[in-house]
Amino acid sequence: MTRILVLSLPLSVRRNRMRRVLLSTAALVWAWLAGQPVQADETCQSPYMAKIAGEEEFVYVWTLGVEGVGDGQDKVVTVDVRKDSPTFGKVIDSDSVGGRGEAHHGGLTDDRRYFWVAGLADSKIHIFDVATDPANPKLVKTIDDFVEKSGGVVGAHGAYALPGRMLIPGLSNKNHDGRTGLVEYTNDGQYITTHWLPTAENTQGAVVERVADGYGYDARVLPRKNVMLTSSFTGFSNYMRPLGEVVKDEEAMKHFGQTMVLWDFHARTPKKVFNVPGAPLEIRWAWGPHNNYAFTSTALTSKLWLVYEDADGDWKAEAVADVGDPAKLPVPVDISLSADDRTLFVDSFMDGMTRVFDVSDPHKPKQIYERKIGGGVNMVSQSWDGKRLYYTSSLLSNWDKTGADGEQFLKAYTWDGKELAPRFEVDFMHEGLGRPHMMTFGSSKLYAS
Amino acid sequence: MSSLAIIRLILAALLCGASFTAPAHDRHERAPDVGQPTGPSTGYAFALPKPGSYRLPAIRPAAGGSVLDETGREHDLTDLLQGRITVLAFMYTRCGDVCPTAALQLSLLQDLAAKDARLAQRMHLVSMSFDPDLDTPSVLAEYAAAWRSDETGAPEWLFLTAPDHSALAPVLAAYGQVVSAKPNPDAAGGPLYHIFRAFLIDASGQIRNIYSLDFLDPDLVLTDIKTLLLDQEQDQHTAGSAP
Repeated sequence: MTRILVLSLPLSVRRNRMRRVLLSTAALVWAWLAGQPVQADETCQSPYMAKIAGEEEFVYVWTLGVEGVGDGQDKVVTVDVRKDSPTFGKVIDSDSVGGRGEAHHGGLTDDRRYFWVAGLADSKIHIFDVATDPANPKLVKTIDDFVEKSGGVVGAHGAYALPGRMLIPGLSNKNHDGRTGLVEYTNDGQYITTHWLPTAENTQGAVVERVADGYGYDARVLPRKNVMLTSSFTGFSNYMRPLGEVVKDEEAMKHFGQTMVLWDFHARTPKKVFNVPGAPLEIRWAWGPHNNYAFTSTALTSKLWLVYEDADGDWKAEAVADVGDPAKLPVPVDISLSADDRTLFVDSFMDGMTRVFDVSDPHKPKQIYERKIGGGVNMVSQSWDGKRLYYTSSLLSNWDKTGADGEQFLKAYTWDGKELAPRFEVDFMHEGLGRPHMMTFGSSKLYAS
Repeated sequence: MSSLAIIRLILAALLCGASFTAPAHDRHERAPDVGQPTGPSTGYAFALPKPGSYRLPAIRPAAGGSVLDETGREHDLTDLLQGRITVLAFMYTRCGDVCPTAALQLSLLQDLAAKDARLAQRMHLVSMSFDPDLDTPSVLAEYAAAWRSDETGAPEWLFLTAPDHSALAPVLAAYGQVVSAKPNPDAAGGPLYHIFRAFLIDASGQIRNIYSLDFLDPDLVLTDIKTLLLDQEQDQHTAGSAP
C-alpha cells in the first residue's frame, strides 16, 4: 500500500528538495524490488515475515507425540536440508515440549526469530528460539493460559505473523463446538485481544451469504488490499473424536464449517461471510500484485474454491475445480501455491495423493500431474523457486490411519515443472519421533551479525 | 543534507534489496493472463473506517531509556512520550531502503496532521536512530532539516539517538527491534539489517498499534490517531461524570 500511495501523491505536498528526490527514489526502489527474484522460502508464509534469500537449510517439523514412541511427547524436529551437509536429509535435533497436546500448526514471528507451535487438545502454545542457533531450536516459553486469557477460545491452531504480533486462530470454545475466535499476542507472548468470528446471532455487521457459523481454521492477510480471510473446520468434540465415529454420526457431520469470512483487516471487522460448504481449510493468497485472489480446498466436498475481487471491486467465492473424485472422499487437506501463482499442489489425506494444478487461470484450474506420496498425506511445503517440495503424513491423532497406511514420514522431492523426483525421506516412527505435521523453513543466513 | 549525501542516499537506495523484507508479496509482478480476475490492483478493499468505530487494544507499555535530542540534550524516552499521542519509528540515516521510504510517509503524515491544528497539538512524531556511532545529534539535526515540515501548524517531529550502544540495547529489546550488522558493511541498502516497525503510542504511554511499512499510510495512521483521541475524550468524560 505504501508503494501505491507514494506513486499517487499530489504534487502540492512535496515541499522540499529532499522529499522530491526521495519521492521518486522510493518509487524506483519499490519498482526495482518488485522485480527481484527471491531464491527460496516457503511460499505460504505471512507477507509480513522476513524471507530467506538462498535455499532453506533446515526444515522444522512440529510433531505429534505417540504413546510408546520415543518420549511420547510433542516435539519440534529439525531436519538438515543443506545440500552439502554430511547430515543432509537427517534429523539433527529434537526438542520435546513436556507433554502431548495434539501438536498441529504453528508459524514464525515477523522477524523470524521465534517459531510458535500450538496444541489442539491442550491449547498450549510453545515458543522456540530459532535465531540463536537455527540448527538447534530451543523452547523459551510456553503459554498455558490461552483459554483463560482469550475469553474461552479453545484449540489454538495456527500462528500467523503480523507486525510485532502473532495471530492465533482457534478451532473451538469451552463448549467444544466450532464457534471460535482469533487471538492476538505480542511477539514475546503477552495476550492482547480476541476477535470472535461472526455468528447468526451476532453478525457484527457483516453481509452474510447464507449462514454465519462462527467457525474458524486458517487466517491470512493480503496487506495491499487491507483484507483478511478466515476459513472454518470443526470443534473440539469432532476433531478429538475418532474419524470413523464422526463420519457415522449424522449429527456430528452437521457440525463442520461452511463459511469463509472476509475482514477489514486493519479494523479487524468482518465484512462478508461467504457460503463455502464442506470445511474450507488452508488459505493461500496469490502473491502477484495484480492477483487479488486466494485459493482454499474443502475437506468434505473435495473442491478447490477461489475467493476473488471482481472488476467491480466486489469479493466473491466460487468453486473452481474438483480434487480427484469427490464421491470417493479423498479429503483434500493442504494446498501450496507457487510463488509465481501458476502452480497449486493439493494434498488429499485419504488417498495419500498430491495433485498438481495449473492455475494460471485461477477460475479454471487444470490438473497436470498426480503422485501417490504415501498411505496418507497431509501437509505440503514448497520452496520459493518451486523446485523443492516437502510432505508430511499426519492429520490428527484420532484421524490418522492404522496399519500399513499409517506410516509417518517426511518426504522430500524435487519438482521440475513436470514431475516429482524423490530426494530423501525420514521415517518418524522408526526414529522414535511420532507423527509429523506442520513444517516451516529455517536458515542461519537470516541472522548474520 | 549535502548534495553529495543526497546522491549517496539515492545510489544506496537504487542498489539496495538484499535485506529488504517488507514487500515480499509484491515481488512477482507479471502481466495478468487471459481469464484472470481483473480486480483493481490498488487501493483498499474497503473505505477506511470511521475514527472511533473500531478498537485499538493496548499492546504493551512503551518503554523508556536514555536518549539524546538533536541538540545533544539527554532525556528519558518515557518523558518524551507522555501527554501526547506518538508515532515512533526506529531508523538510521545510512539506511538506503526502508528508512527513507518510511521518513517520506511520516513527512506526509506530518503534512496531513498540520491541516487540523487541534489534532496537531495533541500528537507528535519521533524518529529514533539505532546507529549511535554515526547518527550523532548533529547528524540527526541535518537529516531532520531535510524531512521536517516548517509549517507553523505541523505537529512536532523529534529526531533522537542514543548516547551509546549500552543505552540503546535495552530500548531496542523493549520494542522487539532487532538490529544486526550485515556481513558486508558496504552492502547495498546500508550496513545494518533490520525489520521496519513503527509504533502508535497513546498519551498515557501504551502502544496501541504496530505498523509495517505496508500500513504506514498517512490516512490510515491519522484515522488511528483520531480513534485514540476519541477514546481519550471518552475516558475523560467518564472520569468527569463519575460520582
